[in-house]
Amino acid sequence: MRLEDERSAPMANNISSTESVSPPRPASFFEERPPQVMEVAPQLLRHWTRRDVLVFGMGAIAAVAGGGSLLPESTLERLGISHGKTNWPKKEWLLNRVLRIDDDVAEALYSRNRVVPTYAKSQITPLKNNYNGATPNPSYIPEWRLTLDGLAAGLSVSLNIQNLLASFRVHEQVTRLVCVEGWSAIAWWAGVRFDELLGAYPPMSRAKWARLESSVNLGPWGNPDPYFVSLDLPTARHPQTLLATHLNGKPLTVEHGAPLRMLVPVKLGLKNIKAITRITYTEDEPGDYWAKRGYSRYDGI
Amino acid sequence: MPRSMQLHEERVATSAPECQAGVLVVRRHHLLVRCSHWLNVPILLGLILSGVSIYWASPVYQHKPDPLTGNVDPLGDVGGWICAHVPGLHQYSSPPDWVYNHISLGPGLLASALRLHWLCAYLFMLNGFVFVVGLAIGGAWRSLLPRRTDLRDALKMFRYYTGLPLAVLTRRTWPHPRFQTKYNALQRTAYFSVVVAGLLSVFSGWAIHKPMQLYWVTATFGGYERARIWHVGLMWLFVLFVVPHVILAVADGWDTLRSMIVGWSTRAERVEDF
Repeated sequence: MRLEDERSAPMANNISSTESVSPPRPASFFEERPPQVMEVAPQLLRHWTRRDVLVFGMGAIAAVAGGGSLLPESTLERLGISHGKTNWPKKEWLLNRVLRIDDDVAEALYSRNRVVPTYAKSQITPLKNNYNGATPNPSYIPEWRLTLDGLAAGLSVSLNIQNLLASFRVHEQVTRLVCVEGWSAIAWWAGVRFDELLGAYPPMSRAKWARLESSVNLGPWGNPDPYFVSLDLPTARHPQTLLATHLNGKPLTVEHGAPLRMLVPVKLGLKNIKAITRITYTEDEPGDYWAKRGYSRYDGI
Repeated sequence: MPRSMQLHEERVATSAPECQAGVLVVRRHHLLVRCSHWLNVPILLGLILSGVSIYWASPVYQHKPDPLTGNVDPLGDVGGWICAHVPGLHQYSSPPDWVYNHISLGPGLLASALRLHWLCAYLFMLNGFVFVVGLAIGGAWRSLLPRRTDLRDALKMFRYYTGLPLAVLTRRTWPHPRFQTKYNALQRTAYFSVVVAGLLSVFSGWAIHKPMQLYWVTATFGGYERARIWHVGLMWLFVLFVVPHVILAVADGWDTLRSMIVGWSTRAERVEDF
């Protein structure tokens, strides 16, 4: 079957016969340049081949060893490569370093003036109860109080939900909540601005962080498992960071963190702590529930 | 093409000692291209393995819950089917997880998968950046640029490849379509598309990763949920590229593979037409 040969060959012959003396000049900027042809001694060719195959081969071995050792321990065990603890000492350091770089990128991207997109109420989507453990028993709600610590005044402040709703304006927003797992939901929130709470009860001057805690959080078997997140104060002061009291026009239900939860749309869902019972302002970065479990600390999105 | 004569007259001088029986070689791939090409292997493997683990946490494609199992994930259905029909797997503890258990890092590793995905993603961007800058400075982008004749020529190549196995079996002559460029039209389409796909996966990745601060990137992909579909779809595109790419490169023989390691090819005869 000889099909295409005749069609393209004459063209090549024609052109090469017309233009054989002048140096090769491409017709246009976009035209492919001719390849470099050279004549080399066969020994040299073999030498180069051997050298480069060896170099690239060693690179491949290094990549397999290095890349393989970066895999999680349980993956290596599943693959039957390692049994028990044989972690490369620098592995955790390196992977956490990458996480820090990524957090630094997120922090660099943050701007107080950049507001997240808002949606119409018709665009609301269902929001699932994503309590990691059991959902708390609603019996905590009547006695619920919010304690503020690390204030400029030096004393703690304890507020109930009526105090909060009476002293602050309620803002509404329809924003997207994005979970680290990948799902997202658009919901209509209402609540007080964290920024206004910070204005009314200013933190100590050295404070750079807020630690928010929910002491009513439960583990998977219903065991007490306080949940806590760290939040940098610039993000807390973002105009769209709310201490939310209402979801879709109704007071928060226990599934969504009644009576007060954080809504911080510039952070992943896991920072949007439910049923906040205590806010502590600190100078040093406080611990974070999920950061202790290998997730990022800053979680800016 | 016009350059055939001159090339033979002004063969590029090399450091090679003068030798009677010299071999004609043609430079194929720059060192940067060779390095970035091979670096893509572990990087893409890491991205896909960790990416499947991340996908598992919240599958992008979902259907109505199965009345029996409550499963919403098509890949879960595939796992269920495999465990029900493949001998020896009937006792498998969690059939919906079968696929994920075999193509991801493993269950319950979202945090590890995310860290690994960021590491590979930053390396992928760095590698891609070096490649694109090298391509721009060295001028090799011209070989990758699509041409007007590409569709027709790509179909020719496709016909050649699909007819080749039968022609070999029936011992018929099945000549390779002639071309005077570094790549044939099918290669050019594939290599150009895969670079564009790389760029798109980086941007759709950022669209998912920073949907609030980079909301305009997210909006370009049609919103957060659609950006996720793009990102997963582009992974499939890479898989669709890699499978025939490896088959064809191996089928083409040692010279082709060697040109991606050593940088040159002894198939200088093709250049005669240049």
